[in-house]
Amino acid sequence: MKSINGSTHRRVTDIPNAQASNTMNSTTGPALVANYLSFSFDATPVLDNVNFTVNRGEFVALVGPNGSGKSTLIRILVGLLRASSGTVEVLGCEPRMLRERWRIGYVPQRPALTGDLPATVEEVIQAGRLARRGWWKTFRQADHDAVDHALAAVALTDLRKRPVTQLSGGEQQRVMIAKALAGEPDLLVLDEPIAGVDKEAQRQFRDSVVHLVAHHQATVLLVSHELGAVAADLDRVIVLKRSVIFDGTPAELTSRGVSLGIHHDDLPLWLEDLEVPGAT
Amino acid sequence: MMPWPFELDFMQRALIAGLAIGIAAPLVGTFLVQRRMALFGDGIGHAAFAGVGAGLLLDVWPTWTALAVAVGGALIVEWLRSHGRATSDLALALLFYSGLALGSILLAKSGSSSIGRDQYLFGSVLTANANDVRTVVLLAITIVLIVAVAARALFAVVLDEETARVNGLPVDRLNLLLAALTAVTVVAAIDVVGTLLVAALMVLPVATSRLLATSFRRTLLLASVGGAVSVIAGLSASRGFDLAPGGSIVLFAVALFVVVSLVRGVRTAPASNEHTHQH
Repeated sequence: MKSINGSTHRRVTDIPNAQASNTMNSTTGPALVANYLSFSFDATPVLDNVNFTVNRGEFVALVGPNGSGKSTLIRILVGLLRASSGTVEVLGCEPRMLRERWRIGYVPQRPALTGDLPATVEEVIQAGRLARRGWWKTFRQADHDAVDHALAAVALTDLRKRPVTQLSGGEQQRVMIAKALAGEPDLLVLDEPIAGVDKEAQRQFRDSVVHLVAHHQATVLLVSHELGAVAADLDRVIVLKRSVIFDGTPAELTSRGVSLGIHHDDLPLWLEDLEVPGAT
Repeated sequence: MMPWPFELDFMQRALIAGLAIGIAAPLVGTFLVQRRMALFGDGIGHAAFAGVGAGLLLDVWPTWTALAVAVGGALIVEWLRSHGRATSDLALALLFYSGLALGSILLAKSGSSSIGRDQYLFGSVLTANANDVRTVVLLAITIVLIVAVAARALFAVVLDEETARVNGLPVDRLNLLLAALTAVTVVAAIDVVGTLLVAALMVLPVATSRLLATSFRRTLLLASVGGAVSVIAGLSASRGFDLAPGGSIVLFAVALFVVVSLVRGVRTAPASNEHTHQH
């Protein structure tokens, strides 16, 4: 699945199942395109002329120093915020105009599970299938199978009937990833999914995402300060510091002195030292 | 022939109306509690009071004017909240005070007696006629059916509104649906517990069921069972000790919560550390 040299990216047209489930205008072309994207908050620029493309089937990491605009960019990409200027295309459409929104799987940064949520792991994951099925329709076998598959992908099958509040932080994060997987998305956007979880949880997270990319041909955009667990599996790394200051393979990034396998507290500092192209 | 205390016609009518609301109200309340909007029903109750006043003044059936005002008020509060025009508690405060103030003025203008006022504020299920019971049951069945269809989607929204929005669920419409369901529940419950106590039946059985349930489905089920038990016990006490039925029902809902809290606290305290799954 890995294509460090950028030459072996899959195309959705190579995949029969994906071909059958997609609409005409959004089956070809890149999964994500940001064109001269800018965003200001109260006249303070947060993003400035951000340009990048993520091709279908790629596993891409978006990294950057603290306050570099990563979460803002993600929220624009998934349609929760409008850009001040520039355009975004997600699966061939402006995010809010995409009819089959279930094709975007989203795992937000903050933990969504409140301490008193009376729900099982299975119920939470089923919620991720609703938009695809139609929220008013009863689940069919294919929907139950998708939920089972999502549970298995994050190794939580044995805990499916367990209340989510009894799980550890790492397990809860895997529940949220499985919830996103249950919709069988074409694009999975993960905002700091492994922040604060232990090494074993990071390894299981890595296995889940690799499984998704390898077996479901999904496109994955991962925002994280902790790339060590997935560094060897990434196709590309995009470094953001209000605008894109690096876009290339992990090998190219490490050749510029940034180690992706280092502790998460240090990565933002390494990225601070990367220079903006043309700035010097 | 039903046994005491439900052997008389008026008690049977009270039981049917009470059970309909006891089962339906906590279903809606489960979603409100999870959204930290437990007092939303209370605010809608006050708006409904103004609707009752308008109905009496205009000499039309107060249930339907209460329904119109309650639904309108609920949709306005939800709009203010979702569009960031007012915080949830401020929007509710607006509804609380304007509803109560308008209701008191309209009822005074209509020439309603203080007894008539009390029956809307605290319920009058023992005097409900067959027509009242039919209306309550019809509204309760509507609530149960809508919740049965929309429960999973409403759960997805209360679980994580942003993700639901990204996935393409109609979050704004589902929030408005929940607001409208709350208003219908409030109006259906006016005869049983009155506008001041209506939120109690939406919230207290849910608080109890959350102590026991390990899934959202069971939370809904146990909340309805708790609501029904409170109604049966409250009406029985009302008959046996000549108590106000609305107040009795709500006090039994409170008692159920206290008892379950104590029992659960005693049972789980020593083992709570063992059951928490930590890695």
